[in-house]
Amino acid sequence: MTADHGSKQPLEQAGASDEQIQNVHAILLREKPEPTEGYSPLPLMLLGLMSALILFSAIYLGRYSGGFDPMVYDERILPGMLEGGAPVVQDPKVIGRRVFANCIACHQTTGLGLPGAYPPLAGSEWAQGPEDRIIRIVLNGISGPITVRSTPFNNTMPAFGPQLRDEQIADVLTYVRSEWGNTAPAVSPDKVKEIRAAVGARSGPWSPDELLKIP
Amino acid sequence: MNKGPLIFLGIFFALAFSWTGVVLTNQIQYGSLTPYYDPNEGKTFPEKPSGLAERGRLVYQDLGCLYCHSQQVRRPGFGADTERGWGERQSVARDYIYERRVFLGTMRTGPDLRNIGARQPSPDWHYLHLFDPQITSPGSIMAPFGFLYEYRAVVGERSPKALKLPVEYAKAHGLERPGYELVPTPRAEALVAYLLSLKDTYQFPEAKPYVPPKKGGAAR
Amino acid sequence: MPDAPSLAASLNPGTPTDSVARAELSEIDASAKWPVLVFLLSSLIWLLIGTAFALISSIKLHTPEFLGSYEWLTFGRARTAHLNSVVYGWSVNVAFAVAFWLMARLSRAMLRHPGLLVVAACFWNLGVTIGVVGILAGDSTSIEWLEIPPYATPLLFVAYALVGVWAVITFRFRRSEHIYVSQWYLLAALFWFPWLYSIAQIMLIFEPARGTVQALVNWWFAHNVLGLWFTPIGLAAAYYFIPKVLGKPIHSYYLSVLGFWSLAIFYNWAGVHHLIGGPVPAWVLSAGIAASLMMVIPVVVTAINHHMTMVGSFGALRSSPTLRFVVFGAMNYTLVSLTGSAMAVRSFNEITHFTHFTVAHAHQGMYAFFTMVMFGAVYYIMPRILLKEWPSATLIRIHFWATAIGIMIYWIGLSIGGWIQGTEMNNANIAFIDVVQHTIPWLFVRSVAGIVITIGHVAFAINVVWMLFARRPAGATAPTLFDSPPATQGALAR
Repeated sequence: MTADHGSKQPLEQAGASDEQIQNVHAILLREKPEPTEGYSPLPLMLLGLMSALILFSAIYLGRYSGGFDPMVYDERILPGMLEGGAPVVQDPKVIGRRVFANCIACHQTTGLGLPGAYPPLAGSEWAQGPEDRIIRIVLNGISGPITVRSTPFNNTMPAFGPQLRDEQIADVLTYVRSEWGNTAPAVSPDKVKEIRAAVGARSGPWSPDELLKIP
Repeated sequence: MNKGPLIFLGIFFALAFSWTGVVLTNQIQYGSLTPYYDPNEGKTFPEKPSGLAERGRLVYQDLGCLYCHSQQVRRPGFGADTERGWGERQSVARDYIYERRVFLGTMRTGPDLRNIGARQPSPDWHYLHLFDPQITSPGSIMAPFGFLYEYRAVVGERSPKALKLPVEYAKAHGLERPGYELVPTPRAEALVAYLLSLKDTYQFPEAKPYVPPKKGGAAR
Repeated sequence: MPDAPSLAASLNPGTPTDSVARAELSEIDASAKWPVLVFLLSSLIWLLIGTAFALISSIKLHTPEFLGSYEWLTFGRARTAHLNSVVYGWSVNVAFAVAFWLMARLSRAMLRHPGLLVVAACFWNLGVTIGVVGILAGDSTSIEWLEIPPYATPLLFVAYALVGVWAVITFRFRRSEHIYVSQWYLLAALFWFPWLYSIAQIMLIFEPARGTVQALVNWWFAHNVLGLWFTPIGLAAAYYFIPKVLGKPIHSYYLSVLGFWSLAIFYNWAGVHHLIGGPVPAWVLSAGIAASLMMVIPVVVTAINHHMTMVGSFGALRSSPTLRFVVFGAMNYTLVSLTGSAMAVRSFNEITHFTHFTVAHAHQGMYAFFTMVMFGAVYYIMPRILLKEWPSATLIRIHFWATAIGIMIYWIGLSIGGWIQGTEMNNANIAFIDVVQHTIPWLFVRSVAGIVITIGHVAFAINVVWMLFARRPAGATAPTLFDSPPATQGALAR
């Protein structure tokens, strides 16, 4: 390896000026030599620390790895604890809350509705009343003057029968009847099925007067 | 340690070790998850996002929403995610298989958004919130996204998409010019469609909550 | 006996080998001048840009309407511009500069083909500039630590390829038999980084993996940029400058070997601790946690090594800027790493995950450790490549105290705020809006810390520019130190 690499520095010329050499000397000579390594032995406590850490980590890994099963997301699960892919039966209130997303545009997430436009469900005597009436409302809609919690309303609610299954209608009514302080009994999917069959093919929404005739 | 090639080999295997374990193994183990049928809902999940929601995801990406919002629900008992109503259950890998870019996020300056579509299903709420978070959430430190909206003159009929600003707010911010309306731009509409699509309201067997085994009996 | 450099030839043939070795060093420094200078000045510009975005982002978090109508500055973009400016702009540029200079010195080989490296610097900085502008324009990929849009990354690849080629050549032509510990770290870092970056680009952007495998790749990549790129370069610098300034050997070669290999094996598994509680298999998270705990070994080992080397010489911290910055950084390395190991434990993580505590931790690592060590390195390197001294000791003093105090306020304030945030977030009885409100005072403290840090950066920038334009002194010069050492101690190298 030759000294000349094409790196341009005035010092390469023969007879570098005294002051340049002196300058370089000054910066270099005050530097300590390049670093080296000493050879002190490893402290014994380090061995103890390492052993403890390795032991702990191995135990931790063994316990919290769910048998290295990629479908285990909860670290508490031990190998073999996950049953086969049996589907979960969902809590009706959970499904009811999901279905209620269809209703919030008018009745709001609070169930309070919109004063002057859409009646409340919270504390509503209609929602907590006979299930034969409210199942019909959800199936076919309702239109016309109605009084809810001493407040008059006059609007149209669309039908949801075609797009919701019996279980979903039952669950959403169960949700409405137990949320926001409401305390009415749950609605079963069989009852919805029964009412749907009884109603048959009906084209328009119910009127409140018609429904009030149903016990 | 003065042999260059030996050092190189060691360095190579060190990273190869984790690349194999963290990346390759998982890609093999669960990189091809498929959707699953949930009998409670009568459908297969996860569902593919709509075109508008997919465009909205790009807006979420370009505005950097993930730097304040996470999209992952932790299991019950670890944090308070499910108690806060941020999700019905722990999020699992299968929930994300149709997302071209996964936005798990690592910060909760704002709440988790994994199920925001179920928690806040009202588009009106989102349009107001994005325009100025102070309208729906006073005291929020979320940035206002006014540039996703247009304050323009009404042409013919008022747009059905025009925001219904609270009267006091409109007055205070000079947004009550007669004959004018505040409408969302297509980017805002896409973003809201994306946010509304975020709801893991279905069940997977692997997401079943852990039930500790009864004392004295082995877990089956 | 290596070829006598031309300078030595102009010395008296009777000159001791020690002086010849130093003459050799001067030639090496001179050969490294342009690449190192170009990377250093680029890094300084990015430091200032990154600091500006940092302040903007920090203020926006407690005062969201600040510059709120500008889409290009929305928090999601400003914060991302900050991260990429300080990581790929400031940190990588200064890392390259320090790495080359260290590699050349320790290999005792002149920096060959410095033009290659200057070209690399141009490509790298062009790529980062286009990347940051792209982020502000809305093209961020929103993949943490990989946000630079795909149209800019080819430039980064070209730059790194040039760097890689150069590094191998220089190492190949080393004249030292013994490979010093810093060189292991540098070689490792230079090899690991492109592997990490390439896999991330392929599996996240070009052929995205399905579902949360993306998250695993993301955090394997991002954490390893910290652990397998910045940490080794920071440690390489600490392992060089501490013994160099003191004129003492590193305490134990065996500790160095143990520290290096345990870091290499364990650190790269730890990255998934960013996903604890998340929708990825529990086993890989537990593996990452175990690895994060095992990281205590290399951290303790390195701490012992550095500490025992310093023992008996702590007085030197009074005078040497290099030593003070590097030791501050090395101490914070120990602190931040032990905190990191704790944060990986699930019960600790339950509180700190998703909070500002993590942000405080990240800044302690990238700033209190890495950046401060790099500052120390720059204070040593610049006089040797420019053959001038730092013009103002006062500015160095301001720089040190402002940045040291600033980052301590940052770290302590935001850690407290983050801890409170996490504890409250885990209590469903506390409304989320209240959790947010309670973080605001601490976010404000962070902005104040940011302003203090900025003062330090401005002092540093002024000193650098002043030094660049100062005339090269004619005669012998003394190093710019915090104070003049007592005459009895003899000349202390910076």
